[in-house]
Amino acid sequence: MAAPSIPDASGRSLKQLVLGRKDVQDLSDTEQELAPDLMTVNMGPSHPAMHGTVRIVLTVDGERVVAGDVQPGYLHRCFEKESEHATFTQVFPYTDRLNYVSPMINNCGWAMVAEKLMGLTNEIPKRAEYIRVIVSEMSRMTDHLTCIGASAMELGAFAVFLFFLKAREWMYELLEKVSGARLTHSYVRIGGVGKDLPDNFHADLTLCLDQTVKVLAEGEGLLNNNKIFRDRMAGIGAMSRADAIATGCVGPIARAAGLDYDVRKDYPYSVYPEVEFDVPVGTTGDCYDRYLVRIEELKQSIRILRQCLAQIPDGPVMVNDHRVALPPKQATYNTIESMIRHFKHIMDGIRVPAGEAYAFVEGGNGELGFYVVADGTGRPYKAYVRSPSFVHLSTAAQLIHGHLIADVVPIFGMINMIGGECDK
Amino acid sequence: MTDVVKTSPQQPAPGAAPPATPPPPASTTPEGMVALIIDGMALTVKKGTNVLEAARTLGLDISAFCYHPGLPIVAQCRQCLVSVEKNPKLQPSCQQLCGEGMVVHTTDPQSTLARKQQLEFTLLNHPIDCPICDKAGECTLQRMYFDHDNADSRVDVPKVHKAKVVDLGPTIVLDQERCILCSRCIRTCDQVAGVHQLEFAHRGDHEILTTAPGAQLDNPYSLNTVDVCPVGALTSKDFRFTMRAWELEATPSVCNGCATGCNIEIHHKNGRAWRLVPRHNPDVNDYWMCDEGRLTYHPLREHRLVGAIVDGLPAGWDRAIRAAADRLTPALASARGSIGVVLSAQYSNEDNFALAKLAKAWGVTNVYLAAKPDVPSRADGKLRVADVNPNRAGAQLIAESLGLAAKPTVELSADVRVLVMLGSELPEIDDAKLRELDIIAISTHEHGPVANAKVALPASAWAEVSATVTNNKGHVQRMHPAFPAPGQALAGWEAVVRLAQATAAKLGYAHAREVFKDMTSAVPAWSKLTWAREARPLALRFAGSRG
Repeated sequence: MAAPSIPDASGRSLKQLVLGRKDVQDLSDTEQELAPDLMTVNMGPSHPAMHGTVRIVLTVDGERVVAGDVQPGYLHRCFEKESEHATFTQVFPYTDRLNYVSPMINNCGWAMVAEKLMGLTNEIPKRAEYIRVIVSEMSRMTDHLTCIGASAMELGAFAVFLFFLKAREWMYELLEKVSGARLTHSYVRIGGVGKDLPDNFHADLTLCLDQTVKVLAEGEGLLNNNKIFRDRMAGIGAMSRADAIATGCVGPIARAAGLDYDVRKDYPYSVYPEVEFDVPVGTTGDCYDRYLVRIEELKQSIRILRQCLAQIPDGPVMVNDHRVALPPKQATYNTIESMIRHFKHIMDGIRVPAGEAYAFVEGGNGELGFYVVADGTGRPYKAYVRSPSFVHLSTAAQLIHGHLIADVVPIFGMINMIGGECDK
Repeated sequence: MTDVVKTSPQQPAPGAAPPATPPPPASTTPEGMVALIIDGMALTVKKGTNVLEAARTLGLDISAFCYHPGLPIVAQCRQCLVSVEKNPKLQPSCQQLCGEGMVVHTTDPQSTLARKQQLEFTLLNHPIDCPICDKAGECTLQRMYFDHDNADSRVDVPKVHKAKVVDLGPTIVLDQERCILCSRCIRTCDQVAGVHQLEFAHRGDHEILTTAPGAQLDNPYSLNTVDVCPVGALTSKDFRFTMRAWELEATPSVCNGCATGCNIEIHHKNGRAWRLVPRHNPDVNDYWMCDEGRLTYHPLREHRLVGAIVDGLPAGWDRAIRAAADRLTPALASARGSIGVVLSAQYSNEDNFALAKLAKAWGVTNVYLAAKPDVPSRADGKLRVADVNPNRAGAQLIAESLGLAAKPTVELSADVRVLVMLGSELPEIDDAKLRELDIIAISTHEHGPVANAKVALPASAWAEVSATVTNNKGHVQRMHPAFPAPGQALAGWEAVVRLAQATAAKLGYAHAREVFKDMTSAVPAWSKLTWAREARPLALRFAGSRG
C-alpha cells in the first residue's frame, strides 16, 4: 500500500523527506546500479572460513576490499600474566595452547629459555635432544598438514582436507603414544623430556612417514596444477621480500617472499646441525608460493625424521641435575632427600637463577621466541612470547587490500593465524 | 639487625674462588661499629652483631637451624659454619661476633661442604613425612636441603624410629622422629614463658625431645614453639591436619585478645581464618604471642550476627534503620536525656569515633564505655595483661578528645530509655533493667544484650575490616581485612553513618580512611598519624619457606 504522497514546496514526497531516498521503482536506470557508497561487512569472529576466532571489519567497494580492520584478541588467555603465577614447569600446559596445532615446538621453546637461564643448554642428553627434534618435526608436519588441508577445503577442495587430516591423525596418534595426550602434549621438560619414546616407536613412525609420503603425493596431485586452486592462490596476497623484513614476518610466509631465514639453520639449536635438510624459499611471495613452501617443508621434515630415527642414540632422556630433574618415584617414596626435592620441585618450582633470556625456535609459523625475566624463584618474574602469528596477522590488512572478498579466505588461510598463539 | 652500612655491594660470581681480600679500612670505622669483609664484600656493622646476621644484611643465605634472632645462641646445629681467615677451624656464624678486620668466607669449598654434610647428617633419620606433615611448604629443613645440599641419599640402613605421637600438653603434639634437636622450643619456653618444661633426653641417635621431669608443656606461650620449630616436630592441636601451609594467604593484623595488641598475621583461605601467627614488632610483642590470642580467630565464626534484626525477627538494613530511627526521633525531639550511647573497648577506633561523633551531633550526654571485665589472673608481666579489651585506651582517648565523659556502664542513668550501643558487652547491668531498655545494638556477635535488642545491626569483626586499635602503650595499630564479613555485616562506623542519616545528623563517611582522617584531626595525640595503604593478602606459596 503506497503512502499518500503530499508534495512539499520543493516537490519532494513525504517519503523522500522521511527516508531520504527513493523507492527502487522511482529510481532512474542509472540510479538503479549499486550505490557508489562503500559498504561495511563483518567477517568473523566466528565464521567457518576464518582460521581461528578473529574479526575482520571489511570495507568493500562492491566485491573489492578497500580496507580491512583486523581485530584479534578473542582468544586472549593472559598467557604471559598467568605464567608469572605458575612454576616454570606449570607453564608447559599453557604453551600447549599457544599454537595448539604444533604444541611440541612450543614446549621445546619454553624448556630452552629456562635451560638457557640455568646454563643447561649444552647439558641436555643427546637422546632427549633427538626426541625433541623428532616430536618438533612431527608437530611441524601436523601444523602444515592442517594449514594446507583447511585452506584447500575453504577453496572447495574437500578431498585434500580429508586426506591431509587423515595423515595428521596418524601423527597425533603417535604423539599421543609418546606423551599421553592427543593435542595438548605437555611432553617436554626443563632438562629433557617427560619420558622416553614408547615401544615400537621407530617402526610406527617409519610406517606413518611412508604413508604420509603417499598422502602428500595425492594432495599435490589434486592441488598443484588444479586450475581453480592456482587461480585462487597464484598472485593473491603477494608480499615482497622487503615488506616481509619490514613487518617482521618469519617462517613460511617470509620464505615464500624470498627471505631465506630459518631458525633451525641460522641459529641452530638442539641437534639440527646433525641432520641434513634444505630450506625452501619462494620467489613471488603470493599464496601459491606459501603453499609450495609448506609442501616442501613437509617433505624436509620427513627427511629430518628419517635421519633422526637412524641417528638417535640410547641413553637418558633427562639431564642428571638435581636442580631440574624430578627424582625417580622409587626414591621419592623411600628416601627423605628425594621426597623433599620432589616436594620442592612441585610446590615451589624449579628454581631458575635471576636473569633474563630469550630463546627461540622455528615454530610451524616461524620464529617462536620466549623472553623470560627470572628473579631466582620457581616462577617467572615476567614472561613474554614472540608469537609469529601475531606479527603475521598485522600484515593481513595490507595483504587483503585491493583483493576480492573471496580472496580474503585463501590469504587468511595461508597466513595461518592460530588464535591461541596470536592472542596469547 | 640495624645500623648496617653497605660499602661495596658487588656480588662475587657463585662458585668462584674466594676473591683476593682488600685490606680492611680499619682506621675509618666509626665508634661502636666494626668493619669486616664477607665473601669479598666490605661492610660495617654495630659492635656485637654476629656474622650470621651481618651476612644476612648482604643478602647471603647462611643456613641455620638452631639460631633464632629472638632466642639465646647455643650454636649446636653446626649448620651455619663459615670459614674465618686466620682461624684453623670453621666457626659457627651465629655465635661468632663480627670483629674488626675479620675476613669471612661463606661460599668456599670447606664451609660449603661442611653445611652439605651437616644436612646429610640431619636427614639421616628424618622420616619421609612431607606429604602428611603440617610444616611441609614452610619447613626450614626442606628449604635448607634444597638450597644447600640437594644430593641423593647414601643411607642403606634402616632409619631409627621414635615415637610419632607424643602428647606434650593441652596444645601441642610432638613427633619425635621429625625433631632435628635444635632446642629452639626448649629455649622458647625458658626465655619467653620463663618456665623450663622441655628437655632433651638420651644420647646419640636415641636423643629425643621430651617434657622436663614432672612437667607438662602447658605454659600460656607454648604455641610459639610450633612457630620456631624448623620442622614439623611440634604441631598445634588447633591447626594440625586442617590446612596445607602453602594454600594459605597471610594478611597483617593485630590481635584483639587483650590490650597488648600483639602484631599478628591472619593466615586465611576460603573466607575464613585458619590460624594466627605472631608478626615481629620489637616495640610490642617481639616475635611472640600467647596461646589464648592465637585462638581468638574461632569466635569470628561463632554466634555471628549476620543480618539485621528488628524485635527478634530478621529484617533488612533499611527496615532496621527505620525501626531504629522511629525509636530515636521522638526521644531526640523531646527528651535527650532518655538516650544513652555506649562506646566499646572491644571495637576499633573508627567505630568508636563515628559513634562518639554521632552522640555529640545528637547532643547526648549519657555516654558510657563498655568493656569486658579485667581478668587479673592473666597478667604475667610479659605479653598477657589483665585488660582483655583491645581498644580501651583508644575509646577513652576518643571520648575525652570529643569532650564526652564516658562513664562505666555500671553508672547507667535511670533516665535512659533508649540505648544505642556498640558491641555486646553491658557488664553489671541486671536483666530486669535490660528488659526495660530499648536497645539499638551495632554488634559483631549475637549474644548478651544483643539477643534482646529491639534493633540489632550486624557489624564486621576485626579480621574483616580496615581499622585501627590502640593498645595499652598507646600504639595505634592497623588491622587489614583478610576476608569479607559474613552476611550483611558492615563495618561498625558504616552502621553508625546509616543511623546518623536516618536521624538527620550530619555524619558523612564513605571510607574508613575518612573516619581516620577526621579522627586524627580531632584527637591531638594522633595528629601525626597517617593511613597506610591496604595490605594485600600475601600467598604463602609465593613467600617461599619462612621457617
